[in-house]
Amino acid sequence: MTATENSVVSASNFTRFLEAILAEQPVIGPRERPDQPGFYRFGRLAQAEDFAPDYGTTTVPPKKTFAALREKLFTFTLDSPPKLDLHFDSSPFVLLGVHPCDLAGIDALDHAYSQPPAEVRWTANRQRATIIGLDCRPDSYCFCTQVGTESNRNPCDLFLTPMKDGYLVEVHSDAGAALLEKAGTRKAGEEDEAAAEQWRRKKTEEIIPEFDAPVEKIADILEAGGLTPVWKETADRCYSCGSCNTTCPTCFCFDMVDDIEPDMRGGARYRTWDSCQLLDFALVASGHNFRGERWQRVRHRWQRKFLYLYRQFDRPYCTGCGRCSRACTADINIVDVTNRLIAAAQKEA
Amino acid sequence: MAEPAKNQAVDRTHIFYVPERARVMTTRREPSATFVELGFEDGRPLNHHPGQFVQVSVFGYGEAPISVCSSPTRPESFDLCVAPMGNVSGAISGLSPGDWVGIRGPYGRGCFPVDRMKKKDLLLIAGGIGMAPLRGLIQFICDNRDDYGRFMVVYGAKTPSDILFREETRQWTENPDLDFYLTVDEADDEWEGRTGVVTEPLKEIDIDPENTVAAACGPPVMFRFIAMELLKKKLPEERIYFSLERRFKCGIGKCGHCQLNDLYVCQDGPVFRYADLLKRTEAGEVWVPEKDQDTA
Repeated sequence: MTATENSVVSASNFTRFLEAILAEQPVIGPRERPDQPGFYRFGRLAQAEDFAPDYGTTTVPPKKTFAALREKLFTFTLDSPPKLDLHFDSSPFVLLGVHPCDLAGIDALDHAYSQPPAEVRWTANRQRATIIGLDCRPDSYCFCTQVGTESNRNPCDLFLTPMKDGYLVEVHSDAGAALLEKAGTRKAGEEDEAAAEQWRRKKTEEIIPEFDAPVEKIADILEAGGLTPVWKETADRCYSCGSCNTTCPTCFCFDMVDDIEPDMRGGARYRTWDSCQLLDFALVASGHNFRGERWQRVRHRWQRKFLYLYRQFDRPYCTGCGRCSRACTADINIVDVTNRLIAAAQKEA
Repeated sequence: MAEPAKNQAVDRTHIFYVPERARVMTTRREPSATFVELGFEDGRPLNHHPGQFVQVSVFGYGEAPISVCSSPTRPESFDLCVAPMGNVSGAISGLSPGDWVGIRGPYGRGCFPVDRMKKKDLLLIAGGIGMAPLRGLIQFICDNRDDYGRFMVVYGAKTPSDILFREETRQWTENPDLDFYLTVDEADDEWEGRTGVVTEPLKEIDIDPENTVAAACGPPVMFRFIAMELLKKKLPEERIYFSLERRFKCGIGKCGHCQLNDLYVCQDGPVFRYADLLKRTEAGEVWVPEKDQDTA
């Protein structure tokens, strides 16, 4: 892609732009939950007005558009021999309004799923989507600056920064440039760029939680071990409900289950999200549970986010979105616990 | 470059989790497990390595990882030996000849190192259903007997009726090509063989630690005691292999169920060198559970 200058689209032009896209393909974007005002979810927009650009953070991250909570893999008949049919929808859609941290979450899963043998179900779903990013305002749980995702643009095709009237639009791919042709835009001037810069500065200034050590140090601390008291203390409060996993943009563990149609002629296999915090996650047929203790499961979550996958992909598998802390029924905060680990390691040293 | 058609089928399986159909050729019920012989529709071989596993679907029940318990040197079909422990394994145990299942795989990059074992003395140790993955290796060694040195197999079953592959174990006892040690934890009135846990016969065996490779499969707690015996015999950690059991859902290092510290047992194993497992705390916690309890 050749470098493109940023443009500005006014609020009214943006509505028309969105309507033009909606006429051609489905748009998944943040919208207020009708059942829970004040809470937002990524869902299909019926009309341009459904788009809620001021949303804080959705409960569930947009990864669900590429790997659904419950995804039909194939159908089977119970004939002899059985007939198997791959279930896959390849129609295109636009994913709108993704914050920088959630873009980082999608990028993290791109890396994980593309490890050979690659999971083409994820990759093929990703190819269906044109992604429009959107800059955000943090709340007290956000800590994107601590994991370096606050200005992340990867992967997106267009990126929007809110302005007084409309958005400053960055183009990040040819597909994005092609999509933007549907919008009435003007070239961004110095003032517009300064306003966007101001938005970004204000955003980073508003972030409160801080890790007491850099991320690369956290990996070393976890590797060195000797942190069992912190794991046990955290586990004493944990209910093993799995909310932290299901709301995490970088968690990708799953289970596979069969369902039979009531007519008993066939059924389907589904892939469903799973959680390493649930008691039976590492249970095997012989009855042994490899993480039967709650503290082992708590430790596993941290080690996966900040050690194993960090070492494998050279990036933490945490985007700083704060969802796990927001969702935690026991108010376990990922930054607090990490800082307790850092403190325990310093005491040890 | 265009890939051959066969690989496309493999890709479809790997990527989209759609299994290939296979037919049950024979079944044999043993008291504690069921033996199932399978073949693909087109008669093609499974092309597995000893130690690999397949994901077996019984449609409507689900999918479960099962070790292949036959050798690739006998390619006309492949065998599974399944104890009815859960939903899917229970359904596999109930299969009859002519029934259909789905197969994905074979999976696992960590197999029994049959090349590195060449010219070496081999000591295989099986506990309980752990005999299943080792039986494929035993067949493989028997079919390539000249490539290997002394061949010793130790098999411990809970009771005489729990002995798997009964007919074959009888043949192994009589086979001059291998030293077969069979023991049961609890004897019954008719049992005339050895009684005692699997490590008992192991104590009696003299090995040449410079030229021996050991491989074991069994319940998680067994590994610790086997490792202790083998280390007493001065066998280096690099030449001890363990085949591990986990609840693989995908088989391709994605679903997370089989993670052992930084390893995915399905992809990096399921067969590991003891030396590599020693570096992993989550492996150690299984074998030396008291170790980590101390720190609290």
